[in-house]
Amino acid sequence: MSTALAGSRWIKADLRARKGQAVLTVLAVAGIVAALITAATLLEEGTNPWRSLFARTDGAHVWLYTDDRPDVSLNGIDGVTRVAGPYRSAPVTVAQDGKKEPAALRAMPATPPGVAHPVVAEGRWLDPSQPDGVVVERSFAESLRLRVGAPFTIIALSGGRHTLYVRGIADSAEQGFYPQWTPGLAYVLPLMLDRIEPMLGRSEWVTGLRLADPDATQVVSQRVVVMLEDKLQRVYTWREVRAAMELDNRLLGTLLALFGAVGLVAAALALANAAGGRVLTQLRDLATLKSLGFTRGQVALLLLVEHGALGLLGVMAGAVAGWGVMVLMLGSTSVAPAPMLAIVGGTALAVLAAVGVPAWRGGRTPPIPDVPSGPPRGRLSRLARLALLVRLPPALVLGTRDAFTRRTPAFLTAFGLAVPMMMITIGLGVWATLDDFADHPEQVGQHASLYVRAGKVEPAEARRIAESDPGVAEVYPGTEVNALSPGEARSVRVRAIGASATPYPFPVVEGRMYGRPGEAVAGQGLLDLLGVEIGDRVRLTVGGTPLIVRIVGRNVEPDQDGEVLSVGLDSLSAKDAVPPEFYALALKPGADTAEVRGRLLAESGEGLEVQEVVNPADRLAVIRVIIVALIGVLALIGLANLLTASALGLRDHAFDLAVLKAMGLTPRQVMATLVTATGLLVVLGVGAGAAAGMSVVTSLIDLQGDTSGVGAGIGRAPSALTLTIAVLTAVGTALAVALIPARRAARAQVPVTSR
Amino acid sequence: MTSVIKTVNLVKIYQDGALPVPAVRGVDLQVEPGEFVAVMGPSGSGKSTLVHLLGGLDTRTSGEIWLDGKRVDTLSESAWAVLRRRRIGFVFQFFNLVANMTVGDNVELPALLAGASPKVARERRESLLAALNLTDRADAAPAQLSGGEQQRVALARALANQPALLLADEPTGNLDSRNTRDVLRLLGTVHKEGQTIVMVTHDARVASLADRVVSLFDGEIVDDGRIARRRTGTAGEVIDLR
Repeated sequence: MSTALAGSRWIKADLRARKGQAVLTVLAVAGIVAALITAATLLEEGTNPWRSLFARTDGAHVWLYTDDRPDVSLNGIDGVTRVAGPYRSAPVTVAQDGKKEPAALRAMPATPPGVAHPVVAEGRWLDPSQPDGVVVERSFAESLRLRVGAPFTIIALSGGRHTLYVRGIADSAEQGFYPQWTPGLAYVLPLMLDRIEPMLGRSEWVTGLRLADPDATQVVSQRVVVMLEDKLQRVYTWREVRAAMELDNRLLGTLLALFGAVGLVAAALALANAAGGRVLTQLRDLATLKSLGFTRGQVALLLLVEHGALGLLGVMAGAVAGWGVMVLMLGSTSVAPAPMLAIVGGTALAVLAAVGVPAWRGGRTPPIPDVPSGPPRGRLSRLARLALLVRLPPALVLGTRDAFTRRTPAFLTAFGLAVPMMMITIGLGVWATLDDFADHPEQVGQHASLYVRAGKVEPAEARRIAESDPGVAEVYPGTEVNALSPGEARSVRVRAIGASATPYPFPVVEGRMYGRPGEAVAGQGLLDLLGVEIGDRVRLTVGGTPLIVRIVGRNVEPDQDGEVLSVGLDSLSAKDAVPPEFYALALKPGADTAEVRGRLLAESGEGLEVQEVVNPADRLAVIRVIIVALIGVLALIGLANLLTASALGLRDHAFDLAVLKAMGLTPRQVMATLVTATGLLVVLGVGAGAAAGMSVVTSLIDLQGDTSGVGAGIGRAPSALTLTIAVLTAVGTALAVALIPARRAARAQVPVTSR
Repeated sequence: MTSVIKTVNLVKIYQDGALPVPAVRGVDLQVEPGEFVAVMGPSGSGKSTLVHLLGGLDTRTSGEIWLDGKRVDTLSESAWAVLRRRRIGFVFQFFNLVANMTVGDNVELPALLAGASPKVARERRESLLAALNLTDRADAAPAQLSGGEQQRVALARALANQPALLLADEPTGNLDSRNTRDVLRLLGTVHKEGQTIVMVTHDARVASLADRVVSLFDGEIVDDGRIARRRTGTAGEVIDLR
């Protein structure tokens, strides 16, 4: 108790004396912890809305689309507990605010079913007394800015317009969110659907299967494929829905986790360095404390408490900040307590471990305060000798010598700067990759920037209009179909575009482009899904027709988690390929997308549907915000290291400075000596960090691309100019920071006799 | 009456690489309560090492140290530290005030460490600083004080727990003559109040303040003599002494 009182006095006084450094430590640790908590929350499935949606709607595990009402008993399949539907579903277009969006109109009874029932979030469910009512799936409604009571104008395949009214907005776990998952979903009463789309041949039947064991999904859906054979259009399972809902969160989470984990190492190093440096500068005070009666353990505890408390304060602040950000972004239930506690506990342990060693060493200080505790001296380092050889100015030589007199702190400083710099380089690489997406969409498979659907005009006419536009360089007819793979219990997307001989310029990064019918390129996601390699032959069925292709290359595929097979239109059978579903328009360089779109619409008398392609970089724009924030935190860590190094250098050489001055060095030269001592370590650390970052950045981004299905080949290193600016900024800032104490020291009157 | 401190054949040998360097070579010293002993000797004679050993700042190589009739040379480092809190006060040549703490906190620190309540510690500090004429400097940082003032604060800190033994290692070695006089006057005052003091110095004038001067040479006691005290300071006796 008594030592606690005495110790707290000492801690308070010491913290008061180095407020800036203390605040920096707290902020750096807080930033890292916040990043880690955000990462864990984004990666934790709890944030994936799928789980709660699935539970609330008593969702179905398998969804199958057939072109006719299934006539077999799906209920009898082993493992299926209940069946939702079959419901009739018709493709329509929703016209809203001048935009046209694809939608699936689903017939549902007025009494919601027991399985896979949409949960009404606003308004009410369908009511037979209001047959013109429609309930819209929530993400679709949000995208269209629909509210309860709003008119809902739809255009049927026949071209007929119908106006319904939104009676309710409902959540569903049946498909991913609009617009990532199209078409949008809306529910009407069966009678209304019959009126809008009387032709049964233009609609399909949707059935949901709820299983006793979600792990049996694969088996059950394979069985369904076998049972329904030709009738089956496509199948997907809860896994795809879940993946669709979490896609962006995962990418952000991975990025944050990488930065957070490496940042934690850097922060622990910075903390160890700061505590160690502080202990070194205080050896005399610590010896005095021991002469007053502090025991070795008490001094160690004192240091552990002081430096550990700063770290722990940072951990707490970071936890609160991370939790706050997540609650603001994702709602109060998003943060799972277990990983949060694990992160807080883990980082707290890391903090204590980092300050433990210097604290223990501080405790071992001999209690005789008059023993000088200067650095090892006498030898000129090899570098300094080299500097002498090439006749550098004396300040540089002395500074070079000073930089390495204490090896461990010198290493810690350089390393402590290298790690943040490496991460900053990687961050800049991610930035460059996004820029590359935006500047060269053709390199991520977006050679065409407009997609035209025939709509009201004849397909041939649509093609003519598109080809005659002055801004259009090339028109590729195309169709997207769903294909079933035997053995795989789900549908994959087949994109047929252009001709096999004159293919659409997919960015093929492995193998080669397809050159004739029967050849295909695939995204990484598809290769992983089917377990095939380049050169393998795959057999799929498209609406009952077999499609046998040989995969000859891998392309960068940003859509559908990379689970897309791309072929020439002539590889598809005529029934699927004619007429083409859309025309992909590659524009001439410099042509404005919006302008061309406007012209096409005007030319066709609003008969065409023209869609602009969404660049993946736009969807990932939030990554840039995260990169800026992380660079800020990393810079704080670097700064903390720097302050330590500079304080230590000053302490070690304060007495030498007096001697140097006595020998005739000008204050400016003394200052240069000090700045050189710190600056050399900075240059080494920053240089090494940037080099390490450059060497790993492309492969890291490619690795991420590979796991997310887009595939390797997207990673870009930051440009030489960006990197040079980053390095110069880092070194410049570091030198400026080192300059202030150096100036003060150079001007101070240090008595030579004070030791 | 038990001696405040007693050493028996005390030896300290430093190991400089493979070469043993004896600093203290078989010192037998006994200091009675209330005595003021000055330890003199040229530099390198082992006098600083001796007081460090007496205060437990350094460990002896062999021999015995007895403090108030109890053997202490066998104590662990921590036990020594606990012992120092109440029984031993230290004054160093370079004052060694804790740089980040105010003068007041520096003086309160040992009292708090010895278990006094903050209130008691504060009262004690106030009386000590008042006695040393430093009341108005209580909130100053040590660096703002002159050398003499700093040494007076260090002395206040050493005396905060009324230790049985005050060890002073060249307390005036870093002071000008005026400050030296101030500090010595203070040491004289506390000695008169019954404080046992062992002071290391190489300055004969400073040593002359003590009751007894122990001379060390090459780590051995070569002379140990009492200084005859003048009981009255009349002019006549000064003449007599000549």
